[in-house]
Amino acid sequence: MNGIKILLITGVVFIAVYFFVRLRNSLFDLILLLLLVGAAVVFILFPEITNQLAHNLGVGRGADLVFYTSIIIFWYVILKFYARLRKLEQTITAIVRKNALEQAETSKITRDDS
Amino acid sequence: MTGLFIQLMSKQILNNSNFIIIPAFNETTVIKTVVEELILAGYSIVIVDDGSEENLLAQVLVFTNTYYIRHAVNLGQGAALQTGIEFALQKKAKYLVTFDADGQHSAADIPALLLPIQNNEADITLASRFLRPGHHNASCSRQLLLKTARWINYLFTGLYLSDAHNGLRAMNRVAAEKIALKENRMAHATEFLFAIKKNKLRFQEVPATVTYTVYSKSKGQSIFNSIRIFFDLVLHKLFE
Repeated sequence: MNGIKILLITGVVFIAVYFFVRLRNSLFDLILLLLLVGAAVVFILFPEITNQLAHNLGVGRGADLVFYTSIIIFWYVILKFYARLRKLEQTITAIVRKNALEQAETSKITRDDS
Repeated sequence: MTGLFIQLMSKQILNNSNFIIIPAFNETTVIKTVVEELILAGYSIVIVDDGSEENLLAQVLVFTNTYYIRHAVNLGQGAALQTGIEFALQKKAKYLVTFDADGQHSAADIPALLLPIQNNEADITLASRFLRPGHHNASCSRQLLLKTARWINYLFTGLYLSDAHNGLRAMNRVAAEKIALKENRMAHATEFLFAIKKNKLRFQEVPATVTYTVYSKSKGQSIFNSIRIFFDLVLHKLFE
């Protein structure tokens, strides 16, 4: 095992532990996490597998295949985050609006409100 | 003197169920003049202060029939309009008018906007500076920008209007209840069109003047802002 493999596996394990601590409530997330970590470790230990996969898919190198898939996954993650951000913004708007409407001020010189 | 008073009073009775909604953000210098003009015409005013640095309350509460609502933080013009619309509906407004706080609109245009609605010919009317020549003093670059905006609106909504981003509009309760602006920032102008299309509201464009002053230009939309509006619209469609 060479240096880069140790470095990558340590990284993956650290991320896995961190997510495990935060996501332990959901079984589905846990299984997904284990699968991803498992795949990552296998690919790090045996990079030839990615080469083989890449050749089957018509991509030159395994590293390129990993790069392309990462881009797609990152796009997905960004959109997910954006959707959540919008939702958060709508929640804040609702709270601020409710608060503003409750505290609306009326001018002192006003007509008799019918 | 008495004549003037009676005239004012009759305007009050005629107009005080017409609510003018003015979203304002840091408009300390001009808001008073804008409100003054509208008060003289007897309208009820709803000022939505969108989290301005300086509280505008003291400036506007000297007027009659004026309501002041303040967002605790700055949310954007779309959010301010929605708050104002909801408030006016609560106050049993019969007709609602949206009006920019920077002084680019003229109170004299409001009766013409209200007329088709009062005659039950339209649910919502949109002011347009391009229906008649000489109703604006927009620069060439600005006109080009507005022409582009018009096409973009058409692409998104299927409605081709002569003036895409005019802040002056009037509507009845039916239309106002259907409007639910979700875009907090400037893309809300197109959201009005979405609402028209979706709820099959009857709409008309009415000519109105727009006066660009140095002040309103400094507060207005830049090219970069327009690009942002475009992306907001794309994302609005994606996440609707």
